[in-house]
Amino acid sequence: MLKKKKVFKLAFISLMAAMLLAACGSGDKETSGGNKEEKNALEQIKDRDKIVIGVKHDTRLFGLKNPSTGEVEGFDIDISKQLAKEILGDEKKIEFKEVTSKTRIPLLNNGDIDAIVATMTITEERKKEVDFTDVYFEAGQSLLVKKGSKIKGIEDLGKGTKVLATKGSTSTMNIREKAPDTQVLEFENYAEAFTALKTKKGDALTTDDAILYGMAAEDPSYELVGGTFTEEPYGIAVKKGNTELVKALNDALKSTRDSGKYDEIQNKWIKK
Amino acid sequence: MDFIGAYAPDHLTFLLKGFWVTLKVAFISIILSFIIGAIVGTLRYAAIPIVSRVLAVVVETIRNLPLLLIIFFTYFALPEIGINLEITYAAIAALTVFESAMLSEVIRSGLKSIEKGQIEAARSSGLTYVQTLQHIVMPQALKRMVPPIVSQFISLLKDTSLAVVIALPDLMHNGQIIYAQKDSYIIPIFLIVAIMYFIVNYCLSQIARRLEVKRA
Repeated sequence: MLKKKKVFKLAFISLMAAMLLAACGSGDKETSGGNKEEKNALEQIKDRDKIVIGVKHDTRLFGLKNPSTGEVEGFDIDISKQLAKEILGDEKKIEFKEVTSKTRIPLLNNGDIDAIVATMTITEERKKEVDFTDVYFEAGQSLLVKKGSKIKGIEDLGKGTKVLATKGSTSTMNIREKAPDTQVLEFENYAEAFTALKTKKGDALTTDDAILYGMAAEDPSYELVGGTFTEEPYGIAVKKGNTELVKALNDALKSTRDSGKYDEIQNKWIKK
Repeated sequence: MDFIGAYAPDHLTFLLKGFWVTLKVAFISIILSFIIGAIVGTLRYAAIPIVSRVLAVVVETIRNLPLLLIIFFTYFALPEIGINLEITYAAIAALTVFESAMLSEVIRSGLKSIEKGQIEAARSSGLTYVQTLQHIVMPQALKRMVPPIVSQFISLLKDTSLAVVIALPDLMHNGQIIYAQKDSYIIPIFLIVAIMYFIVNYCLSQIARRLEVKRA
């Protein structure tokens, strides 16, 4: 009798265990293969006849998704399309994937995207993780304040002032270095940072001037002060060691500049 | 505040698309985590020598980690060991793992709340262990478990918004994109997003109340 009970108990347990395993299996569905071919990245792009670019979806002027059309629009997007045109002969041979400041480098290193065109500043620190192309946009960090604010430049950011910035960006590090006495509050994205400025959560908002011009254009009661206090050269990032791809992108950038297409794109998006 | 601009038809469709993703991810995670949670909870309750001990360690570990960390883990760390999950699957995997641990505790304590005397009575009247669980413990425990299980489902549904950090195109994410267009949209969008979450969660808790009344 005792034995019989034990057998039942065991059967019950093993049934449960089997179900558990089955459930785990369906939960962790593997979607894209883990082992990527060790072909050089440029050849891979040419083979599949499509380049996958990581762009922002929530940054006005550079990469912003339009809810009506579902398309992403902005300076980074138009530049990326030009690159696809130069490398693959058609600006439609491109796929955009959304990245944020936090996800872009892991996605690149996992092979989910071929390149990052997402307001990414070239820094020594980042050069250790990824390879950059030449500069494709020269930004500089600046301050946005309400008109009539007593803050006229970075030198006014002393003790007791609060500066708003976005997470994971170089502007946060820069402001901590240049104005060490000020308190820095970090937000998820620019829209939230700007709303925080409007609701007086801080005295100034800092990020790259191109983005600040966009905000000032939308709400004229805010203005940029003090000029730029850093240089923020934006570069296109690719996975480390892909020299061929960097070269191809640099060539593509150069011919985009030479053809005058670059100025056209810049004038379309960036209004100083 | 620009309510008219913010609630343009295109924006609402875009929000509904995000809402659909939220519901899909939550629904799949609810089903999976309920199955796994039920199994793990029962196994722990059954106090099987090694299995229960191991499960206890796993459940305690997961339960005491922030969900955000688990989401980062499934999205960024799993690819390092060759499992590359798409955003949606990474979110589902993270939610399932976390909520399974939470639910297993709810289920275990539900089972435990049944008085020992009942089990002893069942066993001495000749029922086997499994029969006792199935016919005596489970039905009574289930009745007690419904409210905490449903509130766990509700928090799961709300927790999907944490997957914004890996850019899951859910309701919260799409809301953010809309108010990134124009800053005057921010409050109207928060409001409608809140209403959407509220409606579905309120329905869930009403269903739970019905179930309670029926079973009582």
